[in-house]
Amino acid sequence: MSVQQNLEIRRSSASVWGSLSGMRSVPTVSKYIDTTTCIGCKACEAACIEWNDLRRVATEQTGTYQTLPTLHAEYWNLIRFNERDFDGGIVWLMRKDQCMHCDEPGCLAACPAPGAIVQYANGIVDVNPDQCIGCRYCETGCPFDVPRFHQTTGKMAKCTLCVDRVSVGLEPACIKACPTGCLQFGTKDDMVALGARRVDQLKGTGFANAVLYDPKGVHGTGVVTVLAHGDHPEWYDLPRDPHVPLLVKFWKSVLRPLGGIAIFGAVIGAFAHYTKFGPKEVRGADARDRNLPDA
Amino acid sequence: MSAARPHRPFDTAVVAARDREDVIVGNEIVRHRLASRLIHWSVALTFFVSVFTGMPIWTPVFGWMASLFGGLTVCRLLHPWAGVAFFLASSVMFLHWVADMRLEPRDREWLGPKAFAYMRYETDDSDVGKYNGGQKLFFWAAGLGAVGLLLSGLLMWFPRAFPRLLLEFSYLIHDVTFILFAVAIVFHIYLGTAAEPGTFGSMVRGTVTREWARLHHARWYREVISGEEDRRR
Repeated sequence: MSVQQNLEIRRSSASVWGSLSGMRSVPTVSKYIDTTTCIGCKACEAACIEWNDLRRVATEQTGTYQTLPTLHAEYWNLIRFNERDFDGGIVWLMRKDQCMHCDEPGCLAACPAPGAIVQYANGIVDVNPDQCIGCRYCETGCPFDVPRFHQTTGKMAKCTLCVDRVSVGLEPACIKACPTGCLQFGTKDDMVALGARRVDQLKGTGFANAVLYDPKGVHGTGVVTVLAHGDHPEWYDLPRDPHVPLLVKFWKSVLRPLGGIAIFGAVIGAFAHYTKFGPKEVRGADARDRNLPDA
Repeated sequence: MSAARPHRPFDTAVVAARDREDVIVGNEIVRHRLASRLIHWSVALTFFVSVFTGMPIWTPVFGWMASLFGGLTVCRLLHPWAGVAFFLASSVMFLHWVADMRLEPRDREWLGPKAFAYMRYETDDSDVGKYNGGQKLFFWAAGLGAVGLLLSGLLMWFPRAFPRLLLEFSYLIHDVTFILFAVAIVFHIYLGTAAEPGTFGSMVRGTVTREWARLHHARWYREVISGEEDRRR
């Protein structure tokens, strides 16, 4: 988050309003990922590390070509490799995993620090380390298990959709590095149209269940993914129906105001009680007249 | 020049209240000895550090509290440790008072209209022992609350060590417990200060007047009197 002043803010964590002035119309942007033409070269992983100046993380052998078991605070872009039984053989699936930049971000909903997570006018969801307090609530809010707590900085870290590049008219580093064109970047409308064409093509070549993964539970994502086996999103380590956890919503929008009212109400109630009943004590002649020890 | 006079404590009741409880000194009765008071205030201190570091994280409406400690990040760092300290202090308090707080069948009435009647000063308090039913229930609720806050807080502190659904519920438990606790504490403080004059003195000086004891805890008062008379015989 280095050039956020170029972009207006649509939503901000723990805040009622964003800063949208409505003077300029900014299209929502999106990444496009075609898992069917990904060759697993990991150029996007390297580009992400380079552009974002991430420190090198020791790789882990998981029995596949995958660099690490999951995302990491210093590894925001990970190709997930999966093998599944299909049609008498196996399919080898590769999917680029990173922040999905949800239209309704669960991390932002859960975040208690004002301005620590923002959604820009163009839909990019970003973390502001200056405001992040490292409480890790976003990890509970995210339906894609993306945010990672950085043990050294004590802050949350994740893909920024290269907001610093996008805001000056460049495409994200991962997109720039892709050699097959399976990664594209543009407006959400264009990327959805591109995905729809590719899905039609796949259906025509025998992949009847192909879909463009753009889950409605979070009102769509800023990363749309073409899946040949759309009936099995879990084959790609994707949730079938992601949404902001109901308990997080309940906690934030029901319990929090109710609790505030209850606490203020208790204080007001105590004052009202004192006004009506006053202190409970024995005063004056009443007290003196009592024969205390025997009473 | 006169010879040096022997040292005389200026206030015999305060001296007695250091290590003795339920005894009469002059016109006063020692209600809480020094150990009881220190335990109570250690719980209160850790509670309020937890509250004032937790509430600004809970909602920005209370964000101003964060400046008491130097910002939201400091609150984030302090809160879990303050919570652990609160739990430890609460545990000591629980063990210290549990014998006095055994619930009797009739204490259950305090869960119902009796609590409201008490607040209207309409109850017959002639058979109230050292602690009334409301105080006992508050004691048990606070103990239960401390456990609930600790367990749910641990999950929120180490989110990756626990299953997802459990983690989501822990936010709910932490919040509900806190809200109930906060409402109860408002009334605890109100009853202990403005509503019942003399009560606050029992927690700072350690003593209460005979009038106070007779009004609020008549049976306890009779027991203390008879105990004293036994001792004099």
